[in-house]
Amino acid sequence: MKLTKKTTMVLSFTLGAMLLATTALADIAAKSGYDQLKDALKVTAAQCSNNLSSFTMDISYNVKDNGKTLSSMNQTEKCDRTKSAREETTSEQTISGNNYSNQTYFDKTTYIRLSNDDPTYYVTEYTQERKDMAFSDPFKNNNADDVEKIADAIVGNLKDNVVVTENPDGSKVLSGSLSEVQIPSLINALASFEMKQRFNGQDGQQDNVPHLSKDVFVKTIDGTAKVNKDGVMESILGSAVVSGKDEQGTVHDITIEVLAKLTDVNSTVVTKPDLSGKKVVKNVVKNENSVPEISNPQEFMGKFKNDILIMKDGKFVKVGERIIEITQIDQTSATGRYYEVYKPGFDQYATTKRDFSFNATKSKDKNSPEYKFRTDAGINKAFFLDEHSGKIYLNESTTFSEGGIILDSTFSPDFE
Amino acid sequence: MAVFQAALVNELEKLYKKKKALAAFLLSLAVIVIGQIIIVGVRSGFGLRTAGSMEFPMLVLSVVVNTILPLFTALVTIDSFSGEFAHNNMRITLTRPVSRLKIFAAKIAAISLFILATLLLLLIFSIIAGFVFNTNSATLDSLVRTVFSYIVSLFPMVVLALGIVLLTNLLKSGISVFFVSILIFLGLKVLGVFFSQYSSILMTTQLDWYNLFLMKSFPLAKIIRQFLIMLGSSVMLFTAGFYLFDKKEL
Repeated sequence: MKLTKKTTMVLSFTLGAMLLATTALADIAAKSGYDQLKDALKVTAAQCSNNLSSFTMDISYNVKDNGKTLSSMNQTEKCDRTKSAREETTSEQTISGNNYSNQTYFDKTTYIRLSNDDPTYYVTEYTQERKDMAFSDPFKNNNADDVEKIADAIVGNLKDNVVVTENPDGSKVLSGSLSEVQIPSLINALASFEMKQRFNGQDGQQDNVPHLSKDVFVKTIDGTAKVNKDGVMESILGSAVVSGKDEQGTVHDITIEVLAKLTDVNSTVVTKPDLSGKKVVKNVVKNENSVPEISNPQEFMGKFKNDILIMKDGKFVKVGERIIEITQIDQTSATGRYYEVYKPGFDQYATTKRDFSFNATKSKDKNSPEYKFRTDAGINKAFFLDEHSGKIYLNESTTFSEGGIILDSTFSPDFE
Repeated sequence: MAVFQAALVNELEKLYKKKKALAAFLLSLAVIVIGQIIIVGVRSGFGLRTAGSMEFPMLVLSVVVNTILPLFTALVTIDSFSGEFAHNNMRITLTRPVSRLKIFAAKIAAISLFILATLLLLLIFSIIAGFVFNTNSATLDSLVRTVFSYIVSLFPMVVLALGIVLLTNLLKSGISVFFVSILIFLGLKVLGVFFSQYSSILMTTQLDWYNLFLMKSFPLAKIIRQFLIMLGSSVMLFTAGFYLFDKKEL
């Protein structure tokens, strides 16, 4: 049977459509290595924040110049969800050659900090229980979906660079490797420019740090991630090599490595530092969002003053005093008077002399130390009470000094 | 076959005589020259290497496949179909003792040859420019990959040409075909960004499929899938385009 032209056309069109449809579906269904990597990250974050009772996360990075370490950081984070406590130990060697280390401990009611250069434990106790401090899932964040879309778009064609190797026991190794040809030129240029700025020989960098000046480019980018049979990522290692020449023409290969590991799942123990016999500085606040607050404004009854100074012949000279007198104050309002007194002989500075009474109302926030008032001239002003240092701050709209007088808005109690 | 060859030679001759093909070649060379100047500028100004001798051809390709190559493919395609219908030259072509299928195929073959020629020209000149002006970073492996990337870029470009052929047979005026093609092109680009998981079906994303040949781990399965998607869409577009071309009254 000879096919007519029409049947041939219908046939070939259908064939083409079927071919397109099946491969397109297969392509969409086939999870690229990149998608598997994303899934592993999500599973890991979800497990860490919801299912695992405890775990230890090690994060470290180091920067090397031709194999010689320039800078490194090591952070161990122990999380215990049952106690909702977290312990962090960080040690860091910065590129300028300084060493830092510190140790922090968090739980619902305490925050303890210890750094290497100071043997004092700084303890903050919260009277109000805080939120779960153990670990929060970054993918539950409101913006996570949008960030994911943007990341997908940026990664674009590089998606297929992630290779998946499955082991017989169900665990997987995801790896990817990009050489200069595969890195998009624009990304390469921006990354190399950033690196060149980092290693420009300024900012007090020492001589052991190479100064890249010519031919800077990103040589390779590699990554490997190990995912266990439950889909939880056990380790992820990323490294990049940036190559460049210094003024003398010596080639420097700067290697940046980042490693994150998840270990001791369900067997991590977080212990609160033993403070007995240690030097401790204690601070009690209500919760981590506490703003300066005032519990007893009556403390501020009375006279507060500061000196009016001028600069004369390269010296500060006192020409008078600014005085705030509070005659009545409570949790809702305050009344009083502001005035200035000039010393005899300095009357020429008194041209801007001010004297006004105020009737201030406290801002509505409970325990807020701010009192607002309006002067007779119709200017809005406010003053703040600082319980810790026993001072009053007057918030004025003028910020420039008039007639050579030095501005000062801090008032101390007058005991004379 | 001899008839087809004659038709093809005829189409190539027409293409060659047109200024558009020449303009495409000149513009391609201009891209290389301008690109090289920018790179030399960035290198001496910022101290970045930007592109070694083997990265330069890839940089040129990544720019060209998304800009001037689709543009000139569209122009040449529109000329070959809408232009001939508009000038009534199609009557002369069709009155020859050649079947419409052969003429249609010859036109598409000529357009494909034009794309291939442009790509090869770009390849040769960008490699030369890369070697003359940039730090040598070539290895045999990267050279082979570069040549491959240029050649495989022909496939998505032919799919694009077939899509435009379908449009030229749907719409009468060449100018409207040109603008509709540009709008569709931009639309698909935007869709590719928002629906990146489905982007492999889109013609515009396929233009970048040469990247698959650059990867260290040769993703064979992905390449085959991508090739079959392009094959499927080109069969569909060819048939649909020919159906309209065959029915067209002069």
